[in-house]
Amino acid sequence: MIKRILIVDDSPISIKIMKSCIPKDKDYELFDAADGQLGVDKYKEIKPDLTFMDLTMPVMDGFHALVEIMKLDQRAIVIIVTADVQIKAIARAHDLGAFSVLRKPPSKELIAAAIKEVDETLAQLG
Amino acid sequence: MVNKISTEEMITAEETDILQEIMNIAFGRAASDLAEYIDIFVILSVPYIKLLQASDLPPYINTEIMDYDKVSVVEQNFWGKFKGSAFLIFPAGTGKRIISLFDGGDDFVESDPIYELEKETFREVGNILIGACIGKIAELLGDVITYSPPRVVIEKSHRSVVSDSLFDPENLAIVLRTVFEFNEKNISGYLFIVTSQESFGWLKTALHKFVEQYE
Repeated sequence: MIKRILIVDDSPISIKIMKSCIPKDKDYELFDAADGQLGVDKYKEIKPDLTFMDLTMPVMDGFHALVEIMKLDQRAIVIIVTADVQIKAIARAHDLGAFSVLRKPPSKELIAAAIKEVDETLAQLG
Repeated sequence: MVNKISTEEMITAEETDILQEIMNIAFGRAASDLAEYIDIFVILSVPYIKLLQASDLPPYINTEIMDYDKVSVVEQNFWGKFKGSAFLIFPAGTGKRIISLFDGGDDFVESDPIYELEKETFREVGNILIGACIGKIAELLGDVITYSPPRVVIEKSHRSVVSDSLFDPENLAIVLRTVFEFNEKNISGYLFIVTSQESFGWLKTALHKFVEQYE
């Protein structure tokens, strides 16, 4: 079961949009971080069940943050939410261990479906 | 007088954030369109938004690209509720490398009409990047845009990219800037989108409407 969700994005508006898209009825604990490095630090601190990660960010981009998080926890579930929808960017994110990749701007339906998929995967893994 | 209004009053920090995110989404889509067309990978950077007096626009852009002695520029004007000009700028000497992205090779015959080929290549890249980027901004903000044909100038001094007469110097302008690299050929460039004060009223309303759909 997902309890803690971390959103890593340098755009305050994007974080606000993501929070508004996450279903309110499950009482998830939401955390955020403003770049990849802060995202990795926050990941270590709170050990979220699910991380939504932007790619284009200052200080440390989402690709590098994804690598660092996967080094910390091979079972980490990171969903990339990005404006960079180039096929090679999506393929690279998958190669680095992303659970899935969503296009910006997100929608409530898309985020709800992604969370449901993660929940089902976690249930299967036990 | 309009120009007496401070820049902070014209666009808030929140509106700047929204515009930055919209530019991020729009340029990401444009890069994807180009990458599908010529099989490259475009490295994106975080877009930057700046509000300034229109008379400061030419020196601002000159300063941004001052590392480039000469530049090649694709300029395209656009009209809708969102109205302005876009400038896609590459350093001199990138033309041949960009052509090779299209034909897949690096071999050139000295007698090739390379100047015309360079112009056509820049025009094509400009059409895709500017058209897709402006088109996505317009789509996200509920506008419909028409474009002028792109104008290409090769090997121009970086000091004369933007004309002093682009906008009324008494007015304000918003600049949306993004820097990008084409990974395979070590080519970098700038995209500047500038919109004049005429679009501000509509733009502010459209930015808030964009966010309201999530509230």
